[in-house]
Amino acid sequence: MTAQPEDLATHAPVGFLTDTTLCIGCKACEVACKQWNSLPMDNVGFTASSYDNTRDLGATTWRHVAFVEQFPGNERPTTMPPFQSNWLMMSDICKHCVNPPCMQACPTGAIVISRFGTVVIQQDVCNGCGYCVPACPFGVPELSPLDNKAHKCTFCYDRLESGLEPACAKACPTDSIQFGYTDELALRARGRVDELRERGVEGAYVYGDQNAGGTGGIGGLRVSFILSAPSERYNLPAEPELPQRKSVPNYLSTLVASVAFGAMMTICLRK
Amino acid sequence: MSYQRMWKTPKSGGRSASDESAESYYGVPPIHKPHWKWLIIAYFYLGGISGLSYVIAELAEVTGDATNRVITRAGRYVSLGTLLPCPVLLILDLGRPERFLNMLRIVKLRSPMSVGTWVLVIFSGFCTRSVVAQAARDELWNRFKCAPHGIKAIQSRWMGVAGVPFGFLLGGYTGVLLAATAVPLWTKNALLMGPLFLASAASNATASITLVLCLSKAPHRALVRLERLEMCSLVVELGLLALNRRQLGQTIGRPLREGSTGRLYRFGVQGTGIAAPLMLTVAPMLAGMRPSRWRLALSSLLTLSGGFMFRYVMVIAGHRSADDPQATFELARRGSQESTGSVTDVNVHPVAPS
Ligand code: SF4
Ligand code: SF4
Repeated sequence: MTAQPEDLATHAPVGFLTDTTLCIGCKACEVACKQWNSLPMDNVGFTASSYDNTRDLGATTWRHVAFVEQFPGNERPTTMPPFQSNWLMMSDICKHCVNPPCMQACPTGAIVISRFGTVVIQQDVCNGCGYCVPACPFGVPELSPLDNKAHKCTFCYDRLESGLEPACAKACPTDSIQFGYTDELALRARGRVDELRERGVEGAYVYGDQNAGGTGGIGGLRVSFILSAPSERYNLPAEPELPQRKSVPNYLSTLVASVAFGAMMTICLRK
Repeated sequence: MSYQRMWKTPKSGGRSASDESAESYYGVPPIHKPHWKWLIIAYFYLGGISGLSYVIAELAEVTGDATNRVITRAGRYVSLGTLLPCPVLLILDLGRPERFLNMLRIVKLRSPMSVGTWVLVIFSGFCTRSVVAQAARDELWNRFKCAPHGIKAIQSRWMGVAGVPFGFLLGGYTGVLLAATAVPLWTKNALLMGPLFLASAASNATASITLVLCLSKAPHRALVRLERLEMCSLVVELGLLALNRRQLGQTIGRPLREGSTGRLYRFGVQGTGIAAPLMLTVAPMLAGMRPSRWRLALSSLLTLSGGFMFRYVMVIAGHRSADDPQATFELARRGSQESTGSVTDVNVHPVAPS
């Protein structure tokens, strides 16, 4: 990425484009993230039959490389697809939603959108109520047993302040993780999907894109992914939705119920 | 640092990697469940009773005759008694209890938890006023020789009515709070969650007041009225529960049908908590019998235990549905177009085999 240090905050919001067709599962991003952010190590063990040994995102795992073995037609593959052999690999991360469900949920205002357009949990405000944890439709934030506060990817807030790209993007050897301004990245993603389709990856699409189901109410993701298989294969919900979308109707239905119960009580408590 | 994030590798005997990756990402839950357990379950329970006891007490005060005075009196004291533990439970449940005041640094209508915190704060004020007024009526202050000045000023029954919306909110907002998450079992029927928690709170509050009046020497006429109210709320609650379960569908509603939560739901929530007290109320009523104190006390106890089990089942079944990838996937397949997301109906191979 060629952005000048002083540009980062003043231009459009920043984000990532994660082109999973380029990912080779080297986990350099996971390691770089752990090192830069001084995160403790995880359990060492495999996730079921996969080569994945970090399992999912969590309080101390802000990048997670998913390994999905492909069995077309439930048989041992005999053909070689143009990318990623018969393994799908994807470096998962907080999506830095445009209208973040976690931020809407947070009762203390600890979660904010930074001036770079990224979503950050202010550690000096969070009181560990844990409401952001189930509010995220992608299963990103988690309470850490170390300090009982919620943690997730900060999009390397400290590095952005110094005009540097986040550690994971810097470390990625294949440029599967690309850092940039979201409008530029969206254009690049579209071009790349067209190119991939020409080269035989017919199932390629941008996750979270309006054409691929959209992100009902979330308003888009600052971190987008080029996927080549159904998103559920990568453990991403097909058409995520802003959970708080239902709050206003829900309050209204509670209001209606209250009026009904009030009437019922008044009648029953009469003579 | 010594901390390691631990998990258990799922043991799925006889299943191949192709099976595991066909239905989900090796069974790993796509969303995180909350940490809420007993403290929150107890809070939901007590907060609901407190809010609705207040409502019943104040509505009885403004709409009823002298008979209702005992109901008002019991309702107000029950409301305060069940309210007192609530803030303690909430604060203890925070990861950083010493920071609980951070909840009060903003008012955020978008966050049901923020709304709930403020409702609790405002409701506490109304509840205290009611109890102070009640204590004055019961001449408790004279006994302590400390009659606060200005009690006259807060004696107006309309001040009590002003708190009624907050009482309702305290009973119902918990459902809204759960529904505003990505947990499939909670958010699938978002519209039903508030009324469901409200209905359960109403029957529990009626049961607590009935219980108190049964144990004291309250006139039968008051008990008859409460019994009527109890029966109506139980019927509404039963209807809402049935509707909720039907709308949840096969996959998302699984925790309410199967396993320990399924059993508890069927026999505990529906059987012990609703069907049994309804039988105890309806059968004698049809036979034209006068309510007996012991029968009423028993049915109130059953209702109260059912209300607690309802909160428990809703929270724990929510955890189970959050752990079930199929439930989350189904929730997110809204199916406006043939989505690129579903693993079931799309050819998984990126290239057509030659
Ligand atoms: S992906 Fe989850 S944690 Fe990240 S911004 Fe969106 S809601 Fe918040
Ligand atoms: S755990 Fe912290 S960041 Fe998450 S909702 Fe609660 S206060 Fe906000």
